[in-house]
Amino acid sequence: MIEETVIIVLKVIIMKSYDILVIGGVAAGTKVAAKARRGDIAASIGVLTEDPDISYAGCGLPYYLGGVIQTRRQLVVRTPEELKRYNGVEVLTRHRVTSIDPDGQTVAVSNLETGGKEAVSYGKLVLATGARPVRPPIPGIDLGGIHVLRSVTDADSVQASLEGKDDGKVVIVGGGFIGIEVAENLTEKGMDVTVVEMLPQILPPFDPEVALHIQNHLKEKGVKVMTASKVEAFEGDGTVEKVVTSGGAVDADLVVLSIGVAPNSALAEDAGIELGLRKAIKIDGSGRTNLPDIYAAGDCSTVDHVITGDEAWVPMGSTSNKQGRVAAITLGGGDDAFPGTLGTTVVKVFDISAGRTGLGIREAKEKGYDPVSVTVPADDRAHYYPGSRRIFVKLIADRGSGRLLGAQVHGRGTIDKPIDAMVVALTMGAKVEDLTKMDFAYAPPFSTAINPLNLAATVLTNKMTGYMDSISAGEMKERLDDPGWDGLVLDIREIPEHMIGAIPDSINIPYVEMIDRLREIEDHKDKEVVVVCNVGRRAFEGYLRLKHHGFEKALVLEAGTKGWPYGLE
Amino acid sequence: MMAEFNIDCKGMQCPGPIVEVFKKINSMESGDVLHIEVSDHGFHSDIQAWCGKTGNELVKLEDNGDMIAASIRKA
Repeated sequence: MIEETVIIVLKVIIMKSYDILVIGGVAAGTKVAAKARRGDIAASIGVLTEDPDISYAGCGLPYYLGGVIQTRRQLVVRTPEELKRYNGVEVLTRHRVTSIDPDGQTVAVSNLETGGKEAVSYGKLVLATGARPVRPPIPGIDLGGIHVLRSVTDADSVQASLEGKDDGKVVIVGGGFIGIEVAENLTEKGMDVTVVEMLPQILPPFDPEVALHIQNHLKEKGVKVMTASKVEAFEGDGTVEKVVTSGGAVDADLVVLSIGVAPNSALAEDAGIELGLRKAIKIDGSGRTNLPDIYAAGDCSTVDHVITGDEAWVPMGSTSNKQGRVAAITLGGGDDAFPGTLGTTVVKVFDISAGRTGLGIREAKEKGYDPVSVTVPADDRAHYYPGSRRIFVKLIADRGSGRLLGAQVHGRGTIDKPIDAMVVALTMGAKVEDLTKMDFAYAPPFSTAINPLNLAATVLTNKMTGYMDSISAGEMKERLDDPGWDGLVLDIREIPEHMIGAIPDSINIPYVEMIDRLREIEDHKDKEVVVVCNVGRRAFEGYLRLKHHGFEKALVLEAGTKGWPYGLE
Repeated sequence: MMAEFNIDCKGMQCPGPIVEVFKKINSMESGDVLHIEVSDHGFHSDIQAWCGKTGNELVKLEDNGDMIAASIRKA
C-alpha cells in the first residue's frame, strides 16, 4: 500500500506537467500557444505534435512544389527552438498523444522516435489536431508514387518523386483548391498534368458555371481535366503507372491525392468529447468543448456560419488562426468569441483568379432561402488605364428580404478586392440596395467610376424589381438542351462579332438594325427571346426596345458571350 | 500588287476594333495586309478567332499587356 502510494507520488513528481497543453502544432496550435503566453507570462505551456515540423504554411505547399517558393525554410513560420526561445513554449515534435483522461487531466503520449511512453498532465488542454487527407480504400492506393500533400514532409516526398521527371505525367485526384493549385504549379514546371474529379465540376464551392470558366482556362493552359470520373484503381509494379477511372485510364508517373480532408477527432471522440458536423470537434464560439478545461481550435473543430448561423466545417488556415486566438483568450479567463465563417476562398489559376464568399446558389436553396442572382462583367480599373482587365461579378441575394447572401468573382483582373468588400457587406448583413451606393475608392489606376460592386448590385436591383428579366448562362444552357424550348436566341452584336463566336442556334440582327427588322422575329412575340451581346450591356438596351414593342417574354443573357462557358460556335 | 493599310483603334472599346477590321478587310484585295493597333484587351482573342473563322491570315500578333499590334493578310 505504502509502496503504491510512493509510486504514484513519484509518478506525479517526474511526470511532465503543463498549465496549458496544446495537441497539434501547425496554425491553430502554435497560435494558441503564442497567444496564451502573452496572456499569462508565468504559465507553463507545452505543445505535442506528431509532425517533425511546426507552424508551417500548409497552403504554400503547391507553390513550394512549383518552385515559386524556393526553400523549405520559407514555409516554416517558427521552428520549435524559436517557439521555445521567443515564446517560452516547450514543443515536443514526433510525440503522438494516444489517449486523453479528462478526469485525471492527463494525456498518454508515445515518443515516435524512441518508442517510449509517458503521461503528461495538464491544467487546460487545447485540441488543435487539424485534419488529415482522405485516402479512400481504392485498389492499389498503397503503390509507390502516390502522395498526399498536407505537411512539409509530404511535400518533401513529392519533391523526391519528381526528381528527374521534369516532363513526367502527373495525375491529380480531386479538383479542389489544393489539387488545382498543384495542377497549375506542376504544369508551369513543364509536367503533363491530368486532374480527375469525381463530381461533375471542379472546385465545388463555386457555382457550376463559374467552375466551368476555370476548367476551360485550365484546358487552355494544357491541363487535362476529367470531371464526373471516379478513380477505380491504381495499377503498377511497385510504383504507380496507371490510374484507372470510370472515364478511362490515364498513364501516371506520379499521383497526388487531393480528394479532401477529414478532421482528426478520434482522440477527442474516445475521450467522450462531443463531435459535430462531419465528425469535427463540436465547440462553442469561444472554443469550449463539452468537457471542462478542454478546448479546440482550427481544422479539427466546427465553426458557425455567419449567414445561416448553422454549424459548419470549413477547414481554412485563415479561420484556424482566429479560432486559436479566441481559444487562448477563453482559457485564460477572458471573454471572446469567433463570429464564424463565410466560407471565403480565393484561388489563382494561371492567368485568372476566382474567389467566393457566403452562400452559393445551391447552398442558399438548401438553407431555405429564395436566391436570386446576377452575373455582371466589369473592368477592374478604368478601361483606358493600362492593365485594365475584365472580371465577372456574381451576386446572390435573398429575393424576399433583399439580404445579400454571397458573391463569386472571377476573371483576369483583380478579384480579391470585390470579394473582401463583400465579406464586410455580408458580415454586416447588408442588402442589395445598400451595395448599389456604397462609396468605394475610385481613381483610374484602381477602379472604375461605377465600381463593379455598385454596378452588379444595381443590375441585381433591376432584376429583383422586374425592370429587367435576365437569365444566367446556366439557365440559358438548360433551355438550349431542352428540346421543348420554343424560344429564340437573338444576338444583337455586329456581324463580325457574331462570326467570331456565337451561342449555338442564335440569329444575328445587329442592334442598330433591330427595330427595322423586328418583322423577322414577329412569330416569337409571345415566346421567350433571349437577347445576347458581348457582356450584357447592349443586350439590356435591346431588351428594353423589345419589351416596348410587345415582346413580353424578352430576356437578357447575363454576362453575354464573354461569360458563356459552354462553347461558342 | 500587294497593298498595305493601317488602322488605329487605340482607345476604342469592344466592339469597335473588330468592326473596323471587318469593314476595312471587306474593301481590300486578296493578299493585301492590314496593320492594326488596339488598346482593348479583348481584341487579343477576338482577332485570332475571327481570322480562324474567315481564313484571313494573322501574320503578326504582339501584345505588351497594354497595346496589341496585329497584322492580317486578306485571304
